[in-house]
Parts: sequence; C-alpha cells; structure tokens
Amino acid sequence: MDEELLELQKQFEFAQQAKSSIRLSDRNVVELVQKLHDLQIIDFDLLHTVSGKEYITPEQLRLEICSEVKRLGRVSLIDLTDSIGVDLYHVERQAQVVVSDDPELMLIQGEIISKSYWDTMAEEINERLQECSQIAVAELAAQLQVGSELISSMLESRLGTLIKGRLEGGQLYTPAYVARVNAMVRGAARGITVPMNLSALWSSLQQLLQGMDGATGVAVDNSFFQTLFNGLLKEVEILGSLRAGVHWTPAVFASAQKEFVDSFLSQNSFISYDSLQKLGIPQPMQYLQSRYPEGIPLVTMFIHPSMIEMLDAAIEDAVERNSWIDSLTVLPSLCDSQDAHKILSLCPSVQSALKSNRALIVGESYVLSDGFIKDVFTRLDKEMQTTIPISTASKIDDEKQPTKESKGGNDSGRLSEFNDVSTEGGNRPAMDRGSKKKKGKSSGNPRSSAAESDLNKQEPIPSKSKRNQRKGKDTSVLHVSESKRSKEDSVGVPSEEWIINKVLALVPEFEEQDVDDRETILKPLANQLRPMLVTSWNERRRAMLAENSDRMKRVLDNLQKKLDEIYEKALDLFEDDQATFVRNFFSVTRYLVVLHRHLLRTTGASIADMLLCNLDVYNKLKNGIPVEESQNSESVSLSSGERTSIAKSLHGSLSVKAVALVESLEGKDLTSQVSMENDPVLLLPKVVSLLYLKIHNKALQAPGRAMSTAVSRLKDKLDDSAFKTLMDYHSATVTLLALLSASTNDEDDCASDRIATKKELLESLMPMLKSLVLGSTQPQVAAS
Amino acid sequence: MEQWDTTTKSTLTKIPLLTTKAGPRDGAAWTQRLKEEYKALIAYTSMNKANDNDWFRISAANPEGTRWVGKCWYVHNLLKFEFDLQFDIPVTYPATAPELELPELDGKTHKMYRGGKICLTVHFKPLWAKNCPRFGIAHALCLGLAPWLAAEIPILVDSGMIKHKDDVAASSSDSS
Repeated sequence: MDEELLELQKQFEFAQQAKSSIRLSDRNVVELVQKLHDLQIIDFDLLHTVSGKEYITPEQLRLEICSEVKRLGRVSLIDLTDSIGVDLYHVERQAQVVVSDDPELMLIQGEIISKSYWDTMAEEINERLQECSQIAVAELAAQLQVGSELISSMLESRLGTLIKGRLEGGQLYTPAYVARVNAMVRGAARGITVPMNLSALWSSLQQLLQGMDGATGVAVDNSFFQTLFNGLLKEVEILGSLRAGVHWTPAVFASAQKEFVDSFLSQNSFISYDSLQKLGIPQPMQYLQSRYPEGIPLVTMFIHPSMIEMLDAAIEDAVERNSWIDSLTVLPSLCDSQDAHKILSLCPSVQSALKSNRALIVGESYVLSDGFIKDVFTRLDKEMQTTIPISTASKIDDEKQPTKESKGGNDSGRLSEFNDVSTEGGNRPAMDRGSKKKKGKSSGNPRSSAAESDLNKQEPIPSKSKRNQRKGKDTSVLHVSESKRSKEDSVGVPSEEWIINKVLALVPEFEEQDVDDRETILKPLANQLRPMLVTSWNERRRAMLAENSDRMKRVLDNLQKKLDEIYEKALDLFEDDQATFVRNFFSVTRYLVVLHRHLLRTTGASIADMLLCNLDVYNKLKNGIPVEESQNSESVSLSSGERTSIAKSLHGSLSVKAVALVESLEGKDLTSQVSMENDPVLLLPKVVSLLYLKIHNKALQAPGRAMSTAVSRLKDKLDDSAFKTLMDYHSATVTLLALLSASTNDEDDCASDRIATKKELLESLMPMLKSLVLGSTQPQVAAS
Repeated sequence: MEQWDTTTKSTLTKIPLLTTKAGPRDGAAWTQRLKEEYKALIAYTSMNKANDNDWFRISAANPEGTRWVGKCWYVHNLLKFEFDLQFDIPVTYPATAPELELPELDGKTHKMYRGGKICLTVHFKPLWAKNCPRFGIAHALCLGLAPWLAAEIPILVDSGMIKHKDDVAASSSDSS
C-alpha cells in the first residue's frame, strides 16, 4: 500500500470523526425568538420589516425616522416606508410619536416637516419678495406643493423676522410697496368731496397700479385697499364716516349737509325729505329725528314745533268765530293732506275742540267749527221746510238711504286711493333703500284709509236702527203702484247733491276750491248734515201724523153717521108698506128685492159719492198730506171722471174695489137714466117715477095702465105748465101705443104714416120732459 | 443543472473535481484515483460539518478500495433515522457510477431495485456521463443519495414503513 494513500485514509477518518459546527436555520431562529417572547425574556414589541427577514424594535424605527427627517428636512411617510423597509402602518404610528415628542416637527398631510425646513423656505421666499415687491401666496403654495392655508400660517409666524413684508389678502408685499399703496389710498380718500362707493374707488386705483406695475404686476385685492383705508380711519388721517363698510362720506360733505339742513330748517321751520335725499341722506326721517329731537316727522317733511303753534292759533281763531279754515293755506305748499292731518292731530286746541264736539275735520285738512255746521244746518232746515212737503214718499226715500251712503263710502275710498296715487307719483326714484322706505310709508296710507272707511261705517249705524223701526211701521202700509212710486220719488228727503248745492249757495267761499277739494269737503259735510236734517224732518212729520190721526178718527165717525142717516132716509120710503109686510109675510123676499133695487136707483149714488169723498180725505190724512177742514155737505154730487180719479188715488186693493164700485154705479141712477134715455115710450114711466119720488118721497111701482092715475095724483104738487106738458105727453104716448097695436092687425100705409107722425111729436116733447125733471132738481137743492 | 436546487448546486461547485480516469484493475493509476477520491471525500465531509449538515460516514472495506461500507442518516421532524450504507466500485468505473445500497430498506419502497439498490432519477445518469471522469464517490453521494433520502425517507416515515430507532431529539437540521 502506498504511504500517501494510507495517510489520506487516516485524514478521511479524522475528518469524519471531527465534531460538526451547529448552525441555526431561519425557522429555528423564528421559533427561538417566539419562545423568548413567550417566556417574557423579550418584553418589548418587535416589528417585521417588509422583507420579512429582519426584526426591528419601535425605538430603532423612531431613530431611523428622526435621522431621515434630519437629513432631508421634509419627508413623506410613503418615502419613509421605502427607505426604512417597514410597513406604512407602523411608520405612521411611530411618526406620530416622533412628531409629538419633538416640538420642531409637524405632521401634515402625510409629511413630516421640520422647523428648519420652513426657516430655509422662508429665507428663500424673502429673497424673492425683495426682488418682486409682491408675491401671490397661491403661487408659493403651488411651487412648494402644500396647501395655501399651511403656507399662509407659516408665513404669518415669520413675518417681521425672516420675512420682511406684509401678508394681505393672499398676497405678500414689501413694506415699501405697502407704503406706496397706502399713500395712494390716503390721497384718493382726501381728494373726494362727495359721498362715494369705495368699490368704484378701488377699481380706479387698480387701474392706476396696473399702469404703474405693467405686465409684471399682480392685481391687488380690494380687501387690501379696504384694510389700508380702515387703518387710515383709525389713525384719523382722513376725516369722514363710513357706512356699511362701503359708502364713504367725507367730513367736508357731511359738514356742508349739516349747514344746509340747519339753515333751511331755521329759516322755514320745515324741510322736505326730498331735499335731504338730494343731499345724499338715505334715511332723512331718522337723520332729522336724531339731530332735532323736538321736531316732528311727517309723511313728506319734517317740521319745527313753532309751525304747529302757528296753525293751532289760526284754527282756534276760526273755531271761535264759528267759521271754517283750510289748514293747507296756513302750512307750506309742500305739505299735503296727510301731513296736514298729522299736524292737526298734534294741535292741542284742535284736539280739545274735537273732544268737546266743537269742531269737525273733513278732507284731512279742513276744520269746520261746530257753530258753522249748526248755522248751515239751521238755514238748510228752513229751506227744506219751504221746499219739500211731508208725504209718504219719505219712507221710500229712507229705504234708499243705505245705497246712497254706501256710494258715499265708495267715493271717499276712491278719494283716498287718489291721494295715495298722487303721493307715490310725487316721489322721485331714489336708491333701493330709499325706495323701500317709501314703500313702507305708502303701506301706511291704506291703514288711514281703512280707518276712514271704519268711521264711515260707524256713522250709518244709528240711522239704520231708525230705518228698521220705520220699516216695522211700513209693513202695515199697502203696496204702491210703480207710477205712484216714480211720481213720489221726486218729492222726498233731500239728497246729497241737493245739500251740496245748497251749501255752495250759502257759503260762496267753497266755490273757490278745486272740484276735488270741494268734493272732499262737501261730501263729509253733507253726510254730517243729512242725518240732522232727516231727524228734524221726521220729527215734524211725526207730529203732523199724530195730529192727523185724530182728524182721521173724526172723519170715520162722521162717515158712519152720514151713512146711517141716508139709510134711515131710504127706509122712510117704505113706512106705509109696513102693513103690507105684516099681511103678506110670504112676500118678504119679493119686497127685499124691490127694496134693494129701489135703494140702488135712488140713494146708492149719494152713498157712494159720500163714501169716496171721505175715503179720499182719510187717505190724505193718513199719508200726511195737508187737507183743509172743509164743511161736509149733506149731498155731494160727483161726476164720473171725478169718481174714477178718486178711486185710483187710493191704495192697492182699496183702489181696485173703488174702481169697481164706480163702474157698477154707471147708469144705475134714475136721473142718469132719464138723461140718457132715447126711447120716447120708456121715458114716461122713468120721469113719472122720479117726479113721484121727489114730490111725495115715496117709491113708485106701477103698471102701465096705472100711469094716468099716477100722473093725476101729481096735479096738486106740480105747476100748471108742468102738469100740462106731462098730460100731453101721456096722451100722445097712449095714442102711439094704440096705433102700434092697431097696425099689428092692419097692414095699410095710412097707419104707418100716423105712427111716424106721433113718434115725431113725442120726440119733440122729450127734451121738454127731461128739462122738467132735471129742472125740478134745482128748486130742491135751493130748498135744502 | 436546472433541476437541482441552489444549495446543491453551490455545494457541488465546492467539491474538488477528479482528473485520473482509472478503474480498480488499472494498478498504479487506480491508486492515484483513490488518492483523489479521498481528497474529495475529505473536503465534502469538512464542508458538511462546517454547515452543520453532516449526514454520512463511510470507509473502504478492503485495501484495494473496491468495496465501501458505512452509515448515513436523515433528520425528519427532529427525529434522526440512520441506515447502513454499502456499495461496490464497478470495474468500468468511473465510466459507470457505483450503485449505492441501503439493505435495511430493501423491499419497502418502489424507488429501489432488488437488493436495496436505490433508484436514481433520470437526471443523474446523463449528468454523471457528461462529467466523466471528473465526478467521484463524493459527487455520487451528493447528487445521488442525499436527494434520494430527502425525497423517500419522509414518505416511508409517514406511511409507517420505518420505525424510529433512536429517541434522541437532536437539534440537527435536515440535509436540505
């Protein structure tokens, strides 16, 4: 065997016998560390690296974070994750700990930034600022990739030290630039002499700066100007007042305003709001009230108390003289009705006069004294007595009153609207606030209009109650025909127009007023006077009606007496027939018929005439129409036309029945029958019957054959000529009747000729016979 | 080489290569080859011990060096499984690789020929042929037996074919 071979064998054996070194694998190490941790030998947290092959303690992690921040100054957490090799979650947590421990660090939006970094950046920014005079913060923010708020706060904390400049409205300025702009603002503010909107001022300064800086300049924000302006105000370098932060009023202008207002008010005792608005005072009322507490604000103007005293004296004088006055004539021309009304409400004597009812205000500016109103009322009342008779028409007119009064209310409403329109028309267009204020004022007018309408509504209440009472009475009154109503409307209680015309006649001064003013004055005055006149008229009418009721009663009593007398007189005609009544009891019905027919023929007309006359008198008394006390004659003879007119003048159904009565009487009287009779044969018995009634005062009922006997019995009473006429007529009639009966048997021409001759004879005698009867009535009348 | 893991590759590159092409019947040349074999084995063993990966112990059974015997072991789940190892040097060596034998495991696995000879992967033979005569016994153990043990012992242990002899829970790591 080779020696070397053996040696190698020994070396191999030795190598195999050698102890091997112990080496730990990754798994063993992980298990070992886990065991140590479980046994609490390692009592702190261990973090894994991203590769998973290393452990790292939190302290070590924080140290690495700090070193990285120190190296870079500003580092993102994501970048830290990459460089350290630990998960982002752990990096964030430890970063918060680091930042909270170190006051010079800040953690913002996933970045850790150190104070030294900001200091460095501030120095760089300052260098740029000194070159450019102004830098936009937004530009810096974009350059450094941070938020504007962050960089603004960073800059603010270093202003004056590292950064020698001023931060305003998102812009950085050098002190020199600020001083220059400040000088511009001061010069502009001092140069203005009228009120101006600062926005316009700033825009003009902007243009000026653009011209100076050229393209390199950055637009300066208006808030920068505003800040400088406010600083100047505080330092009292410029004088004036600033309103709402936008409207600038220089002290020069304010003093000029004040001087004008003071001088105008002291000279005139008033000043209008329009003139103040021309001066640029947007709220003149508040302005004047603050400066003159003793003054009085009105709708369109502001007045001094001395004006109230002057007006008060004038009105007091007018009231004492029992006269009237237009307050507008005493007040300045600028004053309108509403202002006058308000001033009147502030006059003490006017208010006391109103309370004691010694004066009345109409048309917002006219003051009428109570004495004046009473004087006008007295004169109108006298005129009304002479002009308007009292009649039933007053009721109809009363019923129409509410319509008229409501119309009056509408008219006053219209007048108020007219006033509003004129007031608004007079206002000139102004600033928005001014116009809003005016709208507020104009809305006040409807309230006053509403108050006036309320007053108008209150007035009719008492007259309504009166009307209701009268309506209760009217229910008993019969209906009146349309023609009657239309006729009676013309005669009634005075209307507004009537009163207005009368007042104009009585008081000529009112003629001088405008038509509108006249309406404004006279309508309320008429409304005031009319109830008084109506009351007076109603009182007189009521007294007359009370008197008339007595007369009406007497008329009815007299009527009853007369009717009874006439009836008794009619019954006397049948006195001799009482025996016949007793004997012929079974003929009672027949006699009643005869009696009624007899009454109709003889005394019916008289009774009807008397009835109609008395009803007419009764009706007139009832309606209040004056009727003279006339002597009531025993017999009143009325013509047919007169009867008809009286019947129609009665009321409603009474009129209808009266007309029927008149119609039924037509042609029923013996006298009328005689006058209208055309048949010669029939005339004779009527004439004889009438003569018999008049002479013997007895009813005559006789057949044709007894006619000669009846005529012969009249011989003693009649004169010879009358009796002769009567006998001749009777003979002729008998002859005619004989001829007629004979001619019936014989039909020869001679008979007809004789008949014609007899007829002609009778016809010639008829007028004589009628005159006999009609003529006999005259002596009877004379006898009575 | 792409079939082998990186550890095996790096280990293989550190084993000295052989230069003499001689078999057991070549007399003095065989002696020279044996010398080179011993040097390679010494280096491989030292390397394993340094890495705490010692896993075999062999020696020549006869003076000619044609028969080798020894032991090899595998640590699985902290348990050490040791097996007898033997192999003969073929007369055509190094053209033909030696056939490694584990007699205890004969008939217990399909990856074994009759007589306990391990069945190597299809990648071993071409590799051995390509590197003739540079590969030796050390290379055969590294490329042949070690992977075989790593592949088959866990299966045999899990299936219950192998019972543990030793109760020692050594802290040795596995051969891989």
